[in-house]
Amino acid sequence: MGRAIVITSGKGGVGKTTSTANLGSALALLGHSVVLVDADTGLRNLDVVMGLENRIVYHSVDVVRGKCTLQKALIKDRRLDNLWILPASQTDDKDAMTPDDMRRIVTELKATHDFVIIDCPAGIEQGFKNAIAGADEAVVVATPEVSSIRDADRVVGLLAQHDIPARLIVNRISQHLVKRGDMLSQSDVIEILALELLGTVPLDDQIIATTNRGMPAVLEGKSAAAKELMRIAKKLAGLEVEAPENVGLFTRIGRALGLSAQPA
Amino acid sequence: MWNNIRNMFSGKSSRDVAKGRLQLVLAHDRTGLEGGRLQEMREEIAAVIARYVQIDANEVEIEIETRSRETQLTVSSRIVTRTA
Repeated sequence: MGRAIVITSGKGGVGKTTSTANLGSALALLGHSVVLVDADTGLRNLDVVMGLENRIVYHSVDVVRGKCTLQKALIKDRRLDNLWILPASQTDDKDAMTPDDMRRIVTELKATHDFVIIDCPAGIEQGFKNAIAGADEAVVVATPEVSSIRDADRVVGLLAQHDIPARLIVNRISQHLVKRGDMLSQSDVIEILALELLGTVPLDDQIIATTNRGMPAVLEGKSAAAKELMRIAKKLAGLEVEAPENVGLFTRIGRALGLSAQPA
Repeated sequence: MWNNIRNMFSGKSSRDVAKGRLQLVLAHDRTGLEGGRLQEMREEIAAVIARYVQIDANEVEIEIETRSRETQLTVSSRIVTRTA
């Protein structure tokens, strides 16, 4: 029996879909069988972020309406053997599906896969209610901004009402801006939201470039954001992970020379 | 260091300002209490306290603060002590 994890945030544009695509791909790279579910009916985007937009035949609303089986609606990723995506409908409304419909789909997917990662739409209305319906746990994505954290806080409250345990990803942090006193730090965000931290993904130009190509960054693996997303995926999978390398050049040189015994 | 110099002149960094604003707005969001309603409550509480002890109604302070998802409401006031 697999685990269903919903990736949510309240506010739009903070990196839910990118996180879903990358965490799912990373978990598949680690050898797990993974299905990504786009729960954003009417405004689907997981397909383009994954670069699978030209391969969609059926979607989740077709499954609900009995037009096809769930297995038939799944698209298999060509880069990874054990990764699938269930697209959303682009032409229906959020009310084309109910929380019960979503729960049935997720339960069926959990029977045959290790991870079902659900890309939640922005907002806290019908689409959100559908997206969290089948979830065993949640990952809340927030950027270090007042508006994002405020919306994330609303979502954290709603998840608690539904007894869904949540953990946090702080996305697009710039250590440079934090040091200058012009950005909330990861500890500020943790303190305010009072959630367990999964990881802090740095602001990284490479994410834009890989997204342009429809390639999840973890599959290229070189950028700082990709490394952190990989680390988060390992944590999700329950693997032991090292603390992120977040030390200055001189400390690293010093450590290499054996000058500092204690890692910062 | 540049940051320290700037803070010396202008007070808080934008990071601190953001944090303070967030804590306040979340206290309101989590309690469902709008900022204006809080002031109305302050006046009502001041009136109640004034029935028992002598206070200056304008000095009654109301504070709503949130930490680790717990929200704390604090009302404080100086009591005017009678001189014998």
